[in-house]
Amino acid sequence: MFIASSEFVVAAATQAKALGFDDVARVFVPHPIQDRTDDEMRALADAAVDDIIAAVTS
Amino acid sequence: MSRVVLDPTSELTPAHRERLARPASLSGLKVGLLDISKARGNVFLDQLEELLTARNATVTRFAKPTFTKPAPIDLRHEIATTCDVVIEALAD
Amino acid sequence: MKLVAVVKRDCPTCSLIEPVLEQLDADSGVSLEVVTQDDPSFPSGVRTVQHDHDLSYSYHHDIETVPTLLRVDDGVEQSRIVGWKRDEWETFTGIGDLGPGLPDWRPGCGSLSVDPSLVDELRARFEGHRLKARRVELADLEDDIEAMFDRGWSDGLPVVPPTETRVLRMLQGTTRAPDEIVAVVPPDLVECTVEKVAINAVLAGCAPEYLPVVLAAVEAACTDEFNMHGVLATTMPVGPVMIVNGPIRQKIGMNAGVNVLGQGNRANSTIGRALQLTIRNVGGGRPGGVDRATQGNPGKLSFCFPEDEEGSPFEPLHVARGYTADQSTVTLFPGEGPRGLVDQLSRDPESLARSFAACLRTVQHPKLPMVFDAILIIGPEHGRVFKEAGWTREQLTERLHELTLLDGSEIIRGAGGITEGVPEAFKDVQLPKFRPDGLLLVHAGGGAGLFSTIIGGWANGETGSQPTTREIRS
Repeated sequence: MFIASSEFVVAAATQAKALGFDDVARVFVPHPIQDRTDDEMRALADAAVDDIIAAVTS
Repeated sequence: MSRVVLDPTSELTPAHRERLARPASLSGLKVGLLDISKARGNVFLDQLEELLTARNATVTRFAKPTFTKPAPIDLRHEIATTCDVVIEALAD
Repeated sequence: MKLVAVVKRDCPTCSLIEPVLEQLDADSGVSLEVVTQDDPSFPSGVRTVQHDHDLSYSYHHDIETVPTLLRVDDGVEQSRIVGWKRDEWETFTGIGDLGPGLPDWRPGCGSLSVDPSLVDELRARFEGHRLKARRVELADLEDDIEAMFDRGWSDGLPVVPPTETRVLRMLQGTTRAPDEIVAVVPPDLVECTVEKVAINAVLAGCAPEYLPVVLAAVEAACTDEFNMHGVLATTMPVGPVMIVNGPIRQKIGMNAGVNVLGQGNRANSTIGRALQLTIRNVGGGRPGGVDRATQGNPGKLSFCFPEDEEGSPFEPLHVARGYTADQSTVTLFPGEGPRGLVDQLSRDPESLARSFAACLRTVQHPKLPMVFDAILIIGPEHGRVFKEAGWTREQLTERLHELTLLDGSEIIRGAGGITEGVPEAFKDVQLPKFRPDGLLLVHAGGGAGLFSTIIGGWANGETGSQPTTREIRS
């Protein structure tokens, strides 16, 4: 599965379909990313981890 | 050294890959964390590694040489043969 | 108009004529260009030397010998000579007194562009672009045979990885262009090129000289007549069975003798396999998908054999089907696995024909007439009985039809305590087991053994398949 920022929703869908893999699991985190502090990055991970695990398990 | 073969099929569709069955939980599984090497992604993945290890997954870290190109074939092959689940991050 | 001399240093004749090249170069009436295959500093005394470092010039101009001297006008070759012969060079160039002191003639050497150790590489370099198939790159750590299985290209047995070099070598086996369309392959109705057949022939393990047979088989299989889609989709056990006739059998070393239907002969085994791999990979017809056979048969991996025409009591099968003896053909039959037939006592043709008939009536079921065709492969010891009695193919065929007329009372539903059969209405008539063209007689097998073989078919007629013959063209 892949994790991308929210800006990537449409691009990811198009690419996945072109590669013949349009049901690939994905989780999106809020944009932007580049200017965040380490603490903010860790907080994003904390917030996303349950969704991530749900995306790869049944 | 790369080896190239010619496709013997009709090539009607991009090779459709069936999604593998999802495991019930990550406990006891080998999870690969693939860093696409964009800035800040490693901090996100460090935290994820801690969180997943706490949930009893065995985490291995991988990294693409550059985020601008698809992962090299050998990296993909290594991940595919050594991990049960792969999480790739962080595209922004 | 200019002269182009193609040479290499590693050639005694080319070294010998270095002074001749210098002489020509010095003549103001001559425009000379020398193309050197190996060493750019050879020859040293000429003004214009091109180093053919990748051998592209030599390859594209079909240079087989060095030295070769070409007359070129506006970029187009007008004529050429090879080797060194003084009077020939003088006539060709219009310059007299060439190479005084040199021997009158010397043969040339082999051009690097036809060097056996370089040919495959050159072909891949200069003709690789003719191949249109998608390239698939294997990971360094991937075992190449496992990679074939992983991608679903195999019929269950290992296949040969179809590299560019192997496919280009396979294409040498035909004069047809790689992008020529051979057939439209069911079930996906894909236009299949010569190239795609060649790739699958490589997978199967064919040698290049087998390719024309595979091409003819693919053509035959994809006709309305043969109905490959029906053969695939049926729950009956049939697959395409190939019978090869004509001179090609010896040319490619097929086996029509001992164990003709079994393993061991590369041509027999790989040609049949290549047809099935093409159907599977190009057409998309796979077991579990469109292929719904309840039990199938091992012949669906590969089933191809030549007729033993030389020892046969009859004219060859393809001659009976309207071809000349010197044509090579493949006949496709929608057949199940082979069934043995024993008769070790019949010395006269009538008795043996009755043995055949008794076994033939049980094709698919003894109480089912008209619907199924069959091949009867007559073994040589059985063939001898008909040869000694002077029976023709027509005579035996006719007798077998007569002997396989079924009595309605025996084959109606319920007769013999068996529910299967024909409707009650047929109680008082006779029905033929086989339709008029439904029996194919073929001669093949080892010289010892009073045995023959039956291969039953599936539905014939409009909804089913007809045996289909195609000429094999190189």
